[in-house]
Amino acid sequence: MGLIQALGADADETWPRLLAGDQSRLSEWDTGTDAPPLIVAAVRDNLPEIPASLAAFACRNNAMALAALLQIESPLREAIARFGADRVGVVMGTSTSGVSDAERAIRHQLELASLAPAFDYAQLEFGGIADFTARWLGTEGPAYTLSTACSSGARALASARSLLRLGFCDAVVAGAADTLCGLTTGGFSSLQAIAPEPTNPMSVNRRGLTLGEGAAVFLVTAEPGGVQLAGVGESSEAHHMSAPDPEGRGAETAMRKAIEDAGATANEIAYANLHGTGTALNDAMESVAVDHVLGREVPCSSTKPMTGHTLGAAGAIEAAFSWLVLQRAEHRKLALPPHLFDGEIDPACAPIRLAHKGETAEVDGRALVLTSSFGFGGNNCSLVLERKLS
Amino acid sequence: MKTVLRSWCAWSPGLETAEQWTAWAKAPQPLASEGVPDARFLPAMLRRRCTPLSKILLKVARDGCNEAERSQARTVFASRHGSINESIGLLENVARGERISPATFSHTVHNAQAGLFSIAMGNRQASSSLAGREDSFGSGLLEALGHLEREPERPVLFVMGDVPLDPVFASLLDEPACAYGVALLLARSEGKDEESFEVALERPPPDAKRLAWPPAAEFLRLWIAGSTSFSISTSQHLWRFTRQE
Repeated sequence: MGLIQALGADADETWPRLLAGDQSRLSEWDTGTDAPPLIVAAVRDNLPEIPASLAAFACRNNAMALAALLQIESPLREAIARFGADRVGVVMGTSTSGVSDAERAIRHQLELASLAPAFDYAQLEFGGIADFTARWLGTEGPAYTLSTACSSGARALASARSLLRLGFCDAVVAGAADTLCGLTTGGFSSLQAIAPEPTNPMSVNRRGLTLGEGAAVFLVTAEPGGVQLAGVGESSEAHHMSAPDPEGRGAETAMRKAIEDAGATANEIAYANLHGTGTALNDAMESVAVDHVLGREVPCSSTKPMTGHTLGAAGAIEAAFSWLVLQRAEHRKLALPPHLFDGEIDPACAPIRLAHKGETAEVDGRALVLTSSFGFGGNNCSLVLERKLS
Repeated sequence: MKTVLRSWCAWSPGLETAEQWTAWAKAPQPLASEGVPDARFLPAMLRRRCTPLSKILLKVARDGCNEAERSQARTVFASRHGSINESIGLLENVARGERISPATFSHTVHNAQAGLFSIAMGNRQASSSLAGREDSFGSGLLEALGHLEREPERPVLFVMGDVPLDPVFASLLDEPACAYGVALLLARSEGKDEESFEVALERPPPDAKRLAWPPAAEFLRLWIAGSTSFSISTSQHLWRFTRQE
């Protein structure tokens, strides 16, 4: 698993900060409009350069993906050598693709009547990130990009598992990347969804989300052992383009189906990573859905106060955090990321158990973690990750 | 995996009925690029904000299956460009330091058609939206098969389409500019007297000739013609289809 977001440029750097509840990396973002600067969770590390042979794909979003891919380059190349390039697929998620670079190209066009010379449509089109990944690795299997807003990254893992089960691939590189850009900062500002202070999920004082950026990628194979994608649950809401069903029915369905698909029961879930965006509607409906499915004992947290809402990458990044919770288990104890907020739980939210700093979960032999992403357009995807502990 | 194509529906300006598509399959021509279907089947509230692509994809999605299937099928929406034309307007707002319209923003996400279809048809089933450059059709088909893998008993409505890209970007691409949508209602074969097909992908042939219409229309052309074995090449892959009675 390769990972980059505001907390750290890889898993080792991220993990202690994730457990410590580190919000020190949030920064200000100049919107370029007359609106005040936004608080964001930007990645401030230098990103790798896109090789000259793939210059058409040279945008910040692909560089973000490459930063994550480089962390697992050896196992990826070993898988290609072992299975053959035509047996390795790529499924990536994104909601922004290279919009931040396209904005510069459009500005250039408005000023000088020609697109910026470094711009290529491959940076902007959604399919670009999967094709970039395939070309960088030299894979020849299927390569496509899912873009279902905030559930894109979770969905990429679900599709990877299906491609393995259908026999189209022996290994799939699956993950997601999203980058901060004027389109999403402006879009979510226009929806009045962005908080003026760091996001405060489940609080009575919450005022919206904090945007972030990052990438996470996994090598997914059918081999047993390690951390497994045990369950996938999906639903649509049939409700509204930019607001969830207030009763949380879609969220509840996705979570229940993921747990059922894992062959598990709700009381076996040791930890749930929430969507937890900090918007009034999300947190109210999500807490109700979690309460219905998991009850009030399972420790839960939203990690978005630390990473921001990384939109199309959120499902992959939060699956990566869930993966780390399992992979870094010590004996039969899981260390859990804390739920950061001001402690004033909203009476309109169900009183689910929010993990505090230093909280751990004891598990028996089968450790299960649930992670959920609920997207724009009412597109929901929950995943259950599993590790057998001896 | 053997897959059944239960029904199909397609739309392009001037090709609006199954009979017209059947005639087109016998004497194919490049598809037209200008025109939008009547989308009066959508409630006015939803229709008002629909992009041309949304109208096309929702039209074929709705007409590609019966009423029960509309609310009960899983859905997969594939489009190479999605609503990028409308996003360009938003990017120009951003470039000029202007605020952007929340409704336009909500309706230009890549899964806008999936969301609209779910709302219009009361469909609460799983849905994916994707893009795969020249391979968007084949990729969407694989994603649809993935949904059949996850829930074999439930059909999947696979919808693919595009509209011509804004001239700002179209000059960067070498592809036929056309407006079209194709909907395929897919189900897992139960091994009865059903006509089914299988798909496999291979390396692209070095001498693949460029099609004058999109791969989704080529698939439909060969399917209507009754070909038992056919392939469609893009610069990325060769997609091989085998059809069995």
